[in-house]
Amino acid sequence: MRKVYEYPKSRAAFERACKLIPSGIYGHQGPAEGCYVPVEAFPLYSSRAQGSYLWDLDGNKFIDYMAAYGPNVLGYNDPDVDEAAARQRAISDCTTLPNPVMVDFADLLVETVACADWAFFAKNGNDVTTCAVMTARAYTHRKKIVFFKGYYHGVSPWTQKIDYAGILEEDVQNNLYVTWNDFDELQEVFEKNKGQIACVIAQPYMHGNFADNELPAEGFWKKVRKLCDDTGTVLIIDDVRAGFRLDIAGSDHYFGFKADLICFCKALANGYNVSALCGRDFLKNAVSSLSFTGSYWMSAVPFAAGIACIQKMKRLNCPQLLIDKGTKLKNGLIATALKYGYDLHVSGVPSLFYLRIADDPTLMLHQEWIAECVKRGVFFTNHHNHFINASLTDEDIEDTLEIADEAFMVVKDRHS
Amino acid sequence: MDERTLAFINLHAVLGGLSKLCELDGECQKLIEGKDIAIGITVKGGPEATIRFSGGACTVTPGVDKCDIKLPFSSCKKFNGLIDGTVTPIPSKGFTKIGFLLHEFTALTDKLTAYLRPAEGALDDPEFFRVSTTVMFHLILDAIAQIGNEDKVGRASASYIVNGDIRMGIEGGPEGFIHARDHVLTAVHTPCEHPTSYMIFASMRDARDLFDGKVNGVVCVGTGKVRMGGMISMVDNVNRILDRVSMYLA
Repeated sequence: MRKVYEYPKSRAAFERACKLIPSGIYGHQGPAEGCYVPVEAFPLYSSRAQGSYLWDLDGNKFIDYMAAYGPNVLGYNDPDVDEAAARQRAISDCTTLPNPVMVDFADLLVETVACADWAFFAKNGNDVTTCAVMTARAYTHRKKIVFFKGYYHGVSPWTQKIDYAGILEEDVQNNLYVTWNDFDELQEVFEKNKGQIACVIAQPYMHGNFADNELPAEGFWKKVRKLCDDTGTVLIIDDVRAGFRLDIAGSDHYFGFKADLICFCKALANGYNVSALCGRDFLKNAVSSLSFTGSYWMSAVPFAAGIACIQKMKRLNCPQLLIDKGTKLKNGLIATALKYGYDLHVSGVPSLFYLRIADDPTLMLHQEWIAECVKRGVFFTNHHNHFINASLTDEDIEDTLEIADEAFMVVKDRHS
Repeated sequence: MDERTLAFINLHAVLGGLSKLCELDGECQKLIEGKDIAIGITVKGGPEATIRFSGGACTVTPGVDKCDIKLPFSSCKKFNGLIDGTVTPIPSKGFTKIGFLLHEFTALTDKLTAYLRPAEGALDDPEFFRVSTTVMFHLILDAIAQIGNEDKVGRASASYIVNGDIRMGIEGGPEGFIHARDHVLTAVHTPCEHPTSYMIFASMRDARDLFDGKVNGVVCVGTGKVRMGGMISMVDNVNRILDRVSMYLA
């Protein structure tokens, strides 16, 4: 039996944080939004990370399947990326005039990403999804945005919903919502809003929470692409989450169509802080017309890191490597669950797999199992897709399966 | 803030609170002892319900078909004025029973106000604290359902809630649940047998601090003062409605 972790130092740090920081840890990395159920099963702060591993404040080691919610694509502290970053840091980083490494990075992205004729840089995924929507509106002179229900495109008011704190009805009044994979409904929305839709924004497939992730139906993207072409609507792919984990040329390329705009962030620079909007030539002037910038958006170090990251991902054929590792883990987890009579659904592309024990629709059983995995050193989350990184070894996968097995056994015993 | 939604809250949640009050408070029990009388409240363009005092208990049910005293209001705003004390009701039926309205019913609503808007120091009395927090818990449960069904933004939150029961409760205190069916919410004031999700406060004190806005719900999840689980998307959306409960009841 594995040691069951406890987290007194994490809890003490959190108590201190609650006095100083709103929510203690806000957002998706916090215990509320992160769905830490029960909260005692989860560490709250890390002390260090290396490769596929994370150590918490109490010295507990985890195989980390969240990869910082995506950025860690090659492994924490990847030597090639860190060396490139260090080299650039010795030269310059945040300066009055940008360093030409920015141009090199744009060049590499245009060469790598199938739909890219240019690249625009910012810091977070939200920056570039917002830039994409503004670009579509500037180009089309239309107001409305089509979303697929279950979407996540960031935290700016336009991405949120009418009932979220701080959001005005006016912030979301031009948002139209369509069921994922329902082309007829999409067509109907286009018909009802003729000449008013600036863009369709979508993740390459539905990786929403609390339900199995859903790949595009056969022919769906081709039909969406044609509808956008026929109506002069900009098609935006939010590849912030899936980017470079399906296809180095972009997830639109993976699914056999071409986006007008594509947004990258997480896996772009292995944890260095940069995001990119890439797009087709006809939208370049529209982006140029925007008033959209930030204090750190032209910092050189993340550009150098991004170049090293993409070059290494290409050398490794990273997306396929991650899919292969994810598939091995997926098959192992399903077989382990079955041993105890559980029906574990592993959905989405295996490089960013989503887990759900389907035997209990309330998800309480699932939450129990995840908690037992975390307490034994496998950092899964309850209701978010996971992320494979390139440094994950076969031994890590075997170790994960052993822990998953023990966690299933504990849960089974509890309910028998 | 929408006057119509407020009228639904005032009738079904605030006046609905009389039901728990009569169960929990000895003085209120005495006031309704041996009474058998029903007050119908009908609001033009808004809610209608009958508050019945019978068999030592108070119940609030939809409709005004079988009432002894009828209080009609020409608008939601007028009815809301009754609750905030700026409008005096004029019965259209039951003049012979107006004594109950003027005495016992007024005493009950005064008592309800005392529990819902406690005077300084009143909560130091453990029994007052218990009754006040329990009445408030059930009122909030009803208000969630009313806002989820009537308020424009609340309906948006309800539209994301899948079918099932959201158990809400306080350790060592009251329990209830919100039943969601096709995005219509119903407050149920009995323990939930088969919750689809849950949100449980660790103690009456923790619940009270949250109700009074002294602590933040997100922090409480992190510290374990609020437990949530199951289909958490339901709890998320109920929490968004809860934000509006405090707006309406402020």
